[in-house]
Amino acid sequence: MATVVDSSNPKSDFPIQYRELNYLNCTKGWKSWFFTLDHKRIGIMYLIGVTVAFFLGGLFAVLLRTELLSPEKMFLSADGYNQMFTLHGAIMTFLVIIPGVPAAIGNIILPVMLGAKDVAFPRMNLGSFYLWMAGAAFFLAALALGGLDTGWTFYTPYSVTTGTAVRTALLGVFILGFSSIFTGLNFIVTIHTMRPPGMTWFKMPLFLWALYATALIQVLATPVLGITGLLLIVEKTFEIGIFDPRLGGDPVLFQHFFWFYSHPAVYVMILPAMGVISEVIAVHSRKHIFGYRFIAYSSIAIAVFGFLVWGHHMFVSGQSKVVAVVFSAITFSVSIPSAIKVFNWLTTMYKGSIRFTTAMCYALAFLFIFSIGGLTGLFLATLATDIHLHDTYFVVAHFHYVMMGSSLVGLFAAVHHWWPKMTGKMFNEFWGRIACLGVFLGFNLTFFPQFLLGTRGMPRRYYTYLPEFQNLHVMSTCGAYLLGLSSALMAATLIYSVYRGKLAPANPWGGASLEWQCSSPPPHNNFDHPPLAGDPYVMESVVYNEEIGGYVPVECQGANKGSVTASGDNEA
Amino acid sequence: MNTAATTTTDEHADSHDHEHHDPRLAHHFDSHQQQFDTGKLGIWIFLVTEVLFFSGLFGFYAVYRSLHPEVFLYASQFLDTTLGAANTVVLLFSSLTMAWGVRCAQLGQSRGLLVCLVTTLACAAIFLGVKSFEYTEKAHHHLLPGRAYQSPEHHDAAAHATAADGETAAAAKEAEAAEASVHGDHGDESLFEKTKHTLSYMTTVLWGVIVLSGIAFGLLFKNPNKKTLATIAGCVLVSAIGMQLGAFSSIGYHQLGHAEKPTDEEIELAETVPAEYAKQKEKIPEPMLARTFFSVYFCMTGVHAIHIIGGMIAISWLIVRTVHGAFTTYYFGAVDFVGLYWHLVDLIWIYLFPLLYLIN
Repeated sequence: MATVVDSSNPKSDFPIQYRELNYLNCTKGWKSWFFTLDHKRIGIMYLIGVTVAFFLGGLFAVLLRTELLSPEKMFLSADGYNQMFTLHGAIMTFLVIIPGVPAAIGNIILPVMLGAKDVAFPRMNLGSFYLWMAGAAFFLAALALGGLDTGWTFYTPYSVTTGTAVRTALLGVFILGFSSIFTGLNFIVTIHTMRPPGMTWFKMPLFLWALYATALIQVLATPVLGITGLLLIVEKTFEIGIFDPRLGGDPVLFQHFFWFYSHPAVYVMILPAMGVISEVIAVHSRKHIFGYRFIAYSSIAIAVFGFLVWGHHMFVSGQSKVVAVVFSAITFSVSIPSAIKVFNWLTTMYKGSIRFTTAMCYALAFLFIFSIGGLTGLFLATLATDIHLHDTYFVVAHFHYVMMGSSLVGLFAAVHHWWPKMTGKMFNEFWGRIACLGVFLGFNLTFFPQFLLGTRGMPRRYYTYLPEFQNLHVMSTCGAYLLGLSSALMAATLIYSVYRGKLAPANPWGGASLEWQCSSPPPHNNFDHPPLAGDPYVMESVVYNEEIGGYVPVECQGANKGSVTASGDNEA
Repeated sequence: MNTAATTTTDEHADSHDHEHHDPRLAHHFDSHQQQFDTGKLGIWIFLVTEVLFFSGLFGFYAVYRSLHPEVFLYASQFLDTTLGAANTVVLLFSSLTMAWGVRCAQLGQSRGLLVCLVTTLACAAIFLGVKSFEYTEKAHHHLLPGRAYQSPEHHDAAAHATAADGETAAAAKEAEAAEASVHGDHGDESLFEKTKHTLSYMTTVLWGVIVLSGIAFGLLFKNPNKKTLATIAGCVLVSAIGMQLGAFSSIGYHQLGHAEKPTDEEIELAETVPAEYAKQKEKIPEPMLARTFFSVYFCMTGVHAIHIIGGMIAISWLIVRTVHGAFTTYYFGAVDFVGLYWHLVDLIWIYLFPLLYLIN
């Protein structure tokens, strides 16, 4: 309590740093949380929900990997294995990665970054959280009602004939889709109409550009998934003959419908993570982001290209050769905006004063993992090699490198970067970095062997395999254990900090965007006075102050020359 | 610790929801203009998602029409163009009253707004009434999607055959259906009964939905008072009357159509299937996947009907708010936004009508 610094302190002219009375405790009782319209509280509830779902999905993953320790059956039957990987995939995709960065982190940070009091439609925001909860409940119900064994893609005709709880899970997907649409709609409108004076489109932080591109995809692609799920439910119930070939339906039509959503959805997962990395790398390198406009445009380009490549999931499904060639070519072109981003991040770090904070470590891990994930995508976009690699572990490894390795590591980076802002507490950097190292090593140990397995012909979704694959499978399983333990360590470090962590200053890392101008944690209305928006990447506008342990605006520092410190910045 | 700044925050948080004197301006907006623009952009984006939602269904239609054009040519003749056209007119008129209502709201004419909204609600109900008759009639002739579909030619065969032949023709279900249609006039009477049952069922559902949503609105946003409850009851009454009107006019039209053509041949055909079906059936043989058309028909019009019901709930909510005098010349966003939604629902029907009813 004694550490609260505020404007009434005669010795300093600093803005309020840690705030005793903040959005977390300004009202009390469960009702004040469950009926809150405050975007920050909704974001926190999302974050808790996503974390629980992550550990549930992770538990399934660990069980799957344990089964694969040996080519013989260990404890899962073939059916049990099918159900487990299906639920692992469905939970991780729909409940964790898609809402992870946008709905959890975006909800907390987006309005604060904009200097706004809330998102445009607070009630819809709360509604989207409840839809998420309802969708999660349907998934759990599917688990209880005999599981689900179609894979998360629900391919027909198998999904029409199987006796498992396809309908329940599809209803869950339908509801989660609307949750996602509402979040996206809210973000688009908020960014359009609630930017503060002075913040033009090209003065927005890149995280907002990324969230904007993500929201476009959420709004434009998700309704198609909704109607597809609905049609599949109707097909299964009334046998209307749309997807079932026995009734004159076309199963490939389902794949088109499904991937028209689900391929753009891949960019829903990766784009916000890319936005996070843009913020983290600039702030923790203490340097203006390199190629701002290119990063901003490349986010939009990825969103646009994302809609034009769904056919690359169906190279072996019997689509015409011309179409396959076109989809292959467009898929290659997605690598251009992705590579633009990677090069700009690298150039941002060049001659920056890089600090290996936990968030920055995750960002570096992201760069490494995303590069591998992206480049292996080119193998799969190439028609000839895809014939060989289709439905092998190579595909599994590729999309885990992108979806788990990049999206979730991006989420971890975001959580560590904004943790002081969200909770007002500093976590232990040492244990944070150890966990990061564990996640990085564990991840690569899990999935790199799967590239090798895939090229040697190990098919995906099998609970058994040839004995010569065992060494690589055991390596992969060991990696999964390390990954699981490291994630648990990360969670423990963060949760511990909530109770025992040091109080956070307003700007612990030296960011120049608006969210660092309000106190940690922000008050209910985010800002006492409407903030003035400037260039979000002029890191020279803040300097380190030892007394506070964080960064303060240059103007304030000038008024208190006694406590000026060099702080190891080389911005001069 | 307890410094000036934190005290300010304290007051700030407490007075959070009361700092604006105008309850029509949400706390996080600076001006009415910003609030309105935000809502407008929001509803337009929502409409985009709606269009994309329907795009799956239009894709379904496009794929199967291009793969099996003969199915659409054959089966669309079982739809009653006159009823479809009547519904189109009703919906177009409701769009007019809705647009008029928005204008009234902008001008602050609350009585005009109320009249327009109630008329729109009634039109929506008439639409559903006609639709419910059409659905019932399709069900009566087993022109249903998927499993439940039975070929009209089976009826024909069964009707001409003896009971023994009927057994060989198909399963017991079909024989039962044939038996029902053997008694010509009887068939129409039972259609009348079925329509009544469908209607009463729908009215009950409507009551349930609107009352529940009224209660939900009341609990969530305002303390329910007598005025609100009375208005909700009024909305339900208007909806119920509109639906009855739509359905019974359709029945009247249908029976009129039968009374006009009493030739022997047609009576014989009418005993099996309605005359207009039978005439067309002779021209085109039934294709293999005729039922796919009814899948498309029921999916598209069904999802559209759900949107009509959603619109009716939204319009009822507007009526309640109008009665409370919520809308003013500078605060009419909600009317505008529901209006846009209603025009979209109308527009989708404008596409559905020719695509389904006007083939050939």
